[in-house]
Amino acid sequence: MASTTRQFRRRLADVQFGNYLPFYSRLSEEQRFAYKLLAPGLAMMCIIHFLPIIWGTLISFMGVNSTYAQQWHRAPLVGLENYFDVLDPGTVVGSRFWFSIRQTVIFAVGSLVVTYVLGLTAALVLNQQFKGRFVARTLLLLPWVAPVVVTLLIWRMMFQQQSGIINNILLSIGLINEPIYWLIGDNAIWTLVLTHSWTQFPLVMIMLYAGLQGIPEQLYEAASIDGAGRWEKFRYITFPQLKPVSAVVVLLVMLWTMINFTAPYVLLGAQPPRSGQVGILYIYEFAFSNYQFGRGAAMSVVLFIIAMTMAMIYYKYLFDDDFTEGDE
Amino acid sequence: MIPDELRLSPSAKDQLFDLLSRGILGCLLLFALFPIYWMIISSFRTRTEITAADPQLLPIELSEIPLIVQDPVILLEILHYENYVTMWGRFPVLDYFINSLVIAMTTTGFALVVGCLGGYAFSKYRFPGKGAVGGALLGTQMIPGILILLPMYLMFIWIQNNIGFPMVNTYHGIIFVYTTFTVPVAIWMLRGFFDTIPDSVEEAARVDGCSRIQALVRIILPMAAPGIAATGMFVFLVAFNEVLFASILASGDVTPFAIGIQSFETQTTAYWGEMMAASTVATAPILVLFVLFQKPIVEGLTEGSVKQ
Repeated sequence: MASTTRQFRRRLADVQFGNYLPFYSRLSEEQRFAYKLLAPGLAMMCIIHFLPIIWGTLISFMGVNSTYAQQWHRAPLVGLENYFDVLDPGTVVGSRFWFSIRQTVIFAVGSLVVTYVLGLTAALVLNQQFKGRFVARTLLLLPWVAPVVVTLLIWRMMFQQQSGIINNILLSIGLINEPIYWLIGDNAIWTLVLTHSWTQFPLVMIMLYAGLQGIPEQLYEAASIDGAGRWEKFRYITFPQLKPVSAVVVLLVMLWTMINFTAPYVLLGAQPPRSGQVGILYIYEFAFSNYQFGRGAAMSVVLFIIAMTMAMIYYKYLFDDDFTEGDE
Repeated sequence: MIPDELRLSPSAKDQLFDLLSRGILGCLLLFALFPIYWMIISSFRTRTEITAADPQLLPIELSEIPLIVQDPVILLEILHYENYVTMWGRFPVLDYFINSLVIAMTTTGFALVVGCLGGYAFSKYRFPGKGAVGGALLGTQMIPGILILLPMYLMFIWIQNNIGFPMVNTYHGIIFVYTTFTVPVAIWMLRGFFDTIPDSVEEAARVDGCSRIQALVRIILPMAAPGIAATGMFVFLVAFNEVLFASILASGDVTPFAIGIQSFETQTTAYWGEMMAASTVATAPILVLFVLFQKPIVEGLTEGSVKQ
């Protein structure tokens, strides 16, 4: 009797799942277990990632401003008006937004170049046999491990115009004649690039280092027999062999820099100069200083689309082709 | 053309190359470590010393070294440890530390539990939609935070006004947000560590009568402990350093260190010495922990990029 009831219940459960979740009912016991394990993570991602993105996109079509800050759902639908406002270079907001996009691209590409060159140099040096290599590797990783808020503030202190150590050193070795304003004016974007690269290069270094370790030794031996020098070995073996890792590194550094908020916000302080106002910082100030959430959301969507487009173009033309070619 | 007698012999070339790469390594180390050195030095200086027109590179004068060797106590007079005393009163630094520890450690705990379950599913099971879920996990790392912050802020306010449950400026609000941000990374990193444990381990445990979940909790998780520690440290650092969401969703009583430390630079005065003292206190344990756990952390970082 009891077993019949249990069977009935189980069948009922199957029917219910079959009705409401036909996908789930077709899974094997093992696959169901996998989904149960993933369920908490997926549920949280839905609430914090996917729902707000849909919601944010929705807000970008609504006239949410200070009047409606408490009751955003009462705000009127304005269609594409927010987008026209922020993308029109004729208006103040539009022109500043386009300028901030330009600064974002400089920030991302500049950081990418500096970070990659530093990271690759460090990885190549570390890849040689010498005493204390492990210690050197650990020390070179510290800039990345130390809390980034702290390191950004150290750089902010060192870049002070009057008392900063950097101006002092440059003055005393005669490279400059008078103290430079690093954190205000047009220099700010390059200060940002340099500082951000300092915090990020160890990550690039350790990824490329791992890639270097994976290059088979026979390639170098064969090249030596053919009489290849150091430069030829680097040019024809090391660099091409690093391509898959480099592709990942370049993509990650570029995307992460484009959406980085901490570096400009902490390094440039409470009143960031115009040149240091990269996209995300400008959106933040604009949206939260006067509750322009509708237009702020429209800008965020534009920034997201630009970042994704850059990633996709890159992926299509560099990553994809080289990978398939390299495999053959 | 270089005449033959001026050309370097192969061994001399090797030596020159070695010298050059040592030199480059030295420059890189100087570049990497100088700011950290400068933080520690500045934390032992008074305000006048820091804002002096000619800051000294060394904390002590060379002529003082014999004195210090004779009597190390004199260091206490040369190095100004006052910053470490006064910083606690200038701003509620202790509260910032406690808030950051509560937020970051709770986030780490939750993210590890959810991440272990998800990472294990990813590593050991095949299921339909695996590729899509994996892509979504990575995709979440590409979203600009500001796109999420705006609706999140409105959602928190809405909950507060309509349900009466406070969300802005509370521990649980910011912890919930951070946990979700770090779960995709945690799943991704932990998957790599679970991959290194052979499938036969789970099979053996199952033969011995463990259920799937028992096999995971009792057998697999202890084996993956180093990887879990590394992932935990990574998550902790992300939560500790986060600024964007904290600046809007966690002020007042729950202000974390990452936001609070910036208040040492006010409109009129910058308390650099005290700021650097607080920074040193925050940085030292993290650097020590990293040096202890660096092997699994470094492996976990490089795993994903190199393996494909």
